[in-house]
Amino acid sequence: MNTTTTQTTPRAISGDATMARVLEVYPGAQRALFRKYHIGGCSSCGFDPNETLAQVCARNNHLNVAEVIAHIEQSHAADQQIYVSAQELSRWRAENVAARLVDIRTREEFDATHIPGATLFTQEIMTEMLGRWPRAELVVIYDHLGNKSMDAAAYFLGHGFTNVRALRGGIDAWAEIDSTIRKYRLD
Amino acid sequence: MEKDLQTKIAEAIANPKNMGEMDSADAIGTVGSPNCGDMVRMWIKFKEENGKKVIDRATFQTFGCETAIAVASLATELIKGKTPEEAMALRGEDLAADLGPLPPMRIHCGQLVEGALRNALSDAPPQASEPVSKPATGGGSLLANFTPASASQKKIVFLDAGKQ
Repeated sequence: MNTTTTQTTPRAISGDATMARVLEVYPGAQRALFRKYHIGGCSSCGFDPNETLAQVCARNNHLNVAEVIAHIEQSHAADQQIYVSAQELSRWRAENVAARLVDIRTREEFDATHIPGATLFTQEIMTEMLGRWPRAELVVIYDHLGNKSMDAAAYFLGHGFTNVRALRGGIDAWAEIDSTIRKYRLD
Repeated sequence: MEKDLQTKIAEAIANPKNMGEMDSADAIGTVGSPNCGDMVRMWIKFKEENGKKVIDRATFQTFGCETAIAVASLATELIKGKTPEEAMALRGEDLAADLGPLPPMRIHCGQLVEGALRNALSDAPPQASEPVSKPATGGGSLLANFTPASASQKKIVFLDAGKQ
């Protein structure tokens, strides 16, 4: 008779996994680590892809590896809540919901086309954001295709902002509902 | 403890002192690179005082986290009137002393400022040097993932030539 039952699902990663593997299994792991532990935000607190998760935990105040893995696993759902669709953002704007719109693309891309009312992210704006912007204010960050804005949102969430969203699909998705915005590619 | 630190950091970066470039600097030091995320650059102007060369004033720019901004702001005030040797003796924890002890995961922010200061005061020319603590490679930095390069090498090609 088999009396052994397990109530826990085997985890996809362990402390022995390299950070490259961790990011492969959980693409949002870096954001999760920074939001909670201030790891991986800048190059000084970053990690090497060949380091193991256990090594990263050890040199960051000996974090409990199992707790960190659990946090990474739980963060995927949280990531989905950070995204806002172009349609929802459009509705907020129509309803005059107060929101700061931050464009994290290059100046060249911003000059070529941008969502009206957006602020180009620069060194000065970053300092102003960290120094003066109310942490509870709604901030929507967008990029070109939606593959960088989540990292930016996580960065500011890790710095105490509580209402940061990332535009799903970037300005490219916004162009679907705003005919004044021109789609482009970078060659 | 952490809340007190956050309050002090918030106060420091609400009105950061000595922020920006200095045209007539005698020395410039850089740690990190604005093209790969976090960076602290410091400009220093010297003067003669009682026959000694001392720091007249210092300014900074940073593309780093809020702790780095706060420490850089404090550091540029702290080193005024010090000789280069006295300033070189200051460590990250000295520069951040007014904030209180930094938690282990934020100590590197103070070290970034220390690195920029030491780079400026050493004879080495300004450079985009390695961070003073463990560097990341291959996408290990969230900041580097989303900060655009200072000048894009890519050409923008509109997909719909019919618009506008």
